[in-house]
Amino acid sequence: MTNTLPKPQSSVHPLQSFIDRLLRGEAMLPHSPTNLLEVVGILKSYGMVLDAYSKNLIYIAEEQFLVLFPFFKYFNGEVSFAKLLKHWNHDRINYEYAEYCMRTMLWHGGGGLDAYLDSPEFKAACEVAVQAKIKTNLPLRALHRLFPEFLPEQVRQSAYYSGLGQFWTVMAEIFLTLSDRYDNGEIPDIPAVVKYIKDGLVAAANVPITYSVTISGQKFDIIPDSLGLTFLPDTAIPYVEAVFFRGTPFWGTVSYNAQAQQISPDQSRFTYGALYADPLPTGGVGIPPTLLMQDMRHFLPDYLHDYYRQGLRGEDDLHVQITQSFQKSMFCVTSAALQGLLPHSAETTVPDEQAANQAFLASWMDRLMTSRIHVVQLSDR
Amino acid sequence: MMLSALILIPLAGAIVTSLWPQEWPADRIRKIALAAQGISLIWVGWLATQYNITLPGMQFVSSLAWIESLGLTYRLGLDGLSLPLLFVNSLLGAIAVYSSPVTIRRPRLYFSLMLVISSAVAGAFLAQNLLLFFIFYELELIPLYLLIAIWGGARRGYAATKFLIYTAISGILILGGFLGLVWLSGASTFDYDPGFAQTLTLVEQSVLLVALLIGFGIKIPLFPFHTWLPDAHVEASTPISVLLAGVLLKLGTYGLVRFGLQLFPAAWSEFAPWLAGWAVVSVLYGSFAAIAQRDMKKMVAYSSIGHMGYVLLATAADTPLSILGTVMQMVSHGLISGLLFLLVGVVYAKTGTRDLTVLRGLLNPERGLPIVGSLMILGVMASAGIPGMVGFISEFVVFRGSFLAFPAQTLLCMIGSGLTAVYFLLLVNRAFFGRLAIRPPSDAVEPDLNLPRVSWSDRVPAVVLAIVIVALGLQPVWLSRWSEATIVALRSPIVELAEASTPAVLCETSTTFPCAL
Repeated sequence: MTNTLPKPQSSVHPLQSFIDRLLRGEAMLPHSPTNLLEVVGILKSYGMVLDAYSKNLIYIAEEQFLVLFPFFKYFNGEVSFAKLLKHWNHDRINYEYAEYCMRTMLWHGGGGLDAYLDSPEFKAACEVAVQAKIKTNLPLRALHRLFPEFLPEQVRQSAYYSGLGQFWTVMAEIFLTLSDRYDNGEIPDIPAVVKYIKDGLVAAANVPITYSVTISGQKFDIIPDSLGLTFLPDTAIPYVEAVFFRGTPFWGTVSYNAQAQQISPDQSRFTYGALYADPLPTGGVGIPPTLLMQDMRHFLPDYLHDYYRQGLRGEDDLHVQITQSFQKSMFCVTSAALQGLLPHSAETTVPDEQAANQAFLASWMDRLMTSRIHVVQLSDR
Repeated sequence: MMLSALILIPLAGAIVTSLWPQEWPADRIRKIALAAQGISLIWVGWLATQYNITLPGMQFVSSLAWIESLGLTYRLGLDGLSLPLLFVNSLLGAIAVYSSPVTIRRPRLYFSLMLVISSAVAGAFLAQNLLLFFIFYELELIPLYLLIAIWGGARRGYAATKFLIYTAISGILILGGFLGLVWLSGASTFDYDPGFAQTLTLVEQSVLLVALLIGFGIKIPLFPFHTWLPDAHVEASTPISVLLAGVLLKLGTYGLVRFGLQLFPAAWSEFAPWLAGWAVVSVLYGSFAAIAQRDMKKMVAYSSIGHMGYVLLATAADTPLSILGTVMQMVSHGLISGLLFLLVGVVYAKTGTRDLTVLRGLLNPERGLPIVGSLMILGVMASAGIPGMVGFISEFVVFRGSFLAFPAQTLLCMIGSGLTAVYFLLLVNRAFFGRLAIRPPSDAVEPDLNLPRVSWSDRVPAVVLAIVIVALGLQPVWLSRWSEATIVALRSPIVELAEASTPAVLCETSTTFPCAL
């Protein structure tokens, strides 16, 4: 007789081992001496780069406010011929990467910042600043008259410039101090890395996110302190969602065939973020991961650079190796973020709380099923 | 002696590398072989500076009596047909030695055999005695057999034996043709003389020509005598494939022009339409077969069959421009096929496969073979006749020279040129674009692919060939200037007769080649 009853579904999540690891305070990345070396080393160089990115983002938000042709936005206010030559020579920080991330956050939205930027309060605050800006700028005034939504949209973008800049300021500090602690021998393994990052995130969780611009000597609040936007829910979580998980289907991030409709029309189902990125892109220049890897290459600690040189292709595939290490480190950061966001303490013995923690992590693991989580478990590069 | 040096230098290298009493490391033997090939190349260059391009006949002729009772004379000569081929022989000989691994087994035997081949091929291109040509033609056979049979792939025994049987039959037919020619003409010597067959009837000429056509057709190879070639290429190591495609096949096409066309002009003109048709079949068969291949090396091998068909077409057309096209196509194919086989060799060495169903994304900038891939794209573009490279101008001259004589056949052969773009685009698209892979996709979790580093010593031979291909494409006169005077003189009396009826006023207002068309 044919059994027509539905098969009982397994209650064990396919990535249950990772859920268990996270609940034990470990990371999704297994510990090994090389993993530790790679993660801390790459986070050191990432911290250096993030520091530069964050300063530039904040500079653009505050000093290039409603400058429609910001030719020197990457110069941080120090325009000189020598710096111009360096810029043209491309021997510089690729600030474009920071803008890609900013636009990715703006596009995917989420969190209090996104909600606020669509509110009447923002509209009102924005309009005050815009009016102050266009008072002495006739072309801008004409533009605002003709297209009243254009300048507010620019201000929304500026708000994200500032928000991401403030987020990265905190993260750069965490990663650089992590490196210092590692150099002092205080970070013995990968769980210690995750714990350090988690503690940093938790400590900064309530850091306020604000944004104001000064026009003709007068200060205008775009994101006022009174709004109560804070680091963790309003920038960190949207950032993780937008950059680690969803991302944007740039060539080089992943290989895909858009004509075969391999790109979902629903952006919430995007899986082109850092945790899914293919370290072996099909080539091309100007794509975000390439830019970030180029930047990090300048700040690699010696021990990590030596490790890369020992690879099969030595320096030839440095960017690929950096991408692999970066991806490992992002699994650590994601681990820290998920542990920090657990609805209940990981050590709880209350069954309902344990179930809630399990459900929370399982929902994230559902999304990581197609990520590179299995590949980073391998010891081969 | 000036010409004998081209035979003796590699031969001396072969003797030194094989018989030197002291034990030498493989690297030193390779360097000696490379030096011998390098000196040969320089010698060809020096000969070119001494060569008078305005003189149509043989130059630097040297003759020594050898076995007079047999009519065998050691008689050498150089003209515009052989000079470019000698250059290709020396250049590819040097490249083949350079691209041979220093870790090769039995290096003394390996490198000495390679040098013997170079020596024999040079002798064949220079020989002005039919028996002497045959001796050199056969002399390269055994070394090549051994090079495939000892250093070849898994089925090397089969491939080498097949090669040996086919080319031995080729040799027998050519010898038969030469013996018949001298016997029927009543000559007392085998010294090369275009007037040999004047006393022969058309039937006698035809029979002898058929023997030579099949003999050289096997060597070229032309359909349906081609089956030894893909097997030989697949089993041969990369340097041997370079020699085989770049130099040894040219013995067949050279023989076709030098002996088939020149010795039997009357029969040739009768056979010409059929030969042009044969060329079409060979070109289209080679091209379609190449499209169907999944092994990169076999694809390049079938491509050779197709491209050698152009030489038959141009020889059949027998106009000055088409004969110039044969020389240019021989050189062009030698360089381009040499480049492609070198690159396929690098791909195989680094990935362990040539299977186009699994290779992907080799142009990957950091973990693939981007420079090799770029050179491959250049090579296939040259082979497909993209302007700016020698493949274009040689095919253009072949088609331009053949069109008035055989328009339909020429147009059909041009389809073959288009098909070259088809199969090589398939090759490039499959192997070099997309995500890097050297194995079929699977559900297993695997680390990111990491191919071994490609050293510049792997790339240098291909870069040298690419430079020559582009240089001759941009300045084709550097290739054609050596042959123009010779080709006017080489033409068969039939064509000369036809040209004599061309209104003189046209000739006066035109250059030599358009007038002759």
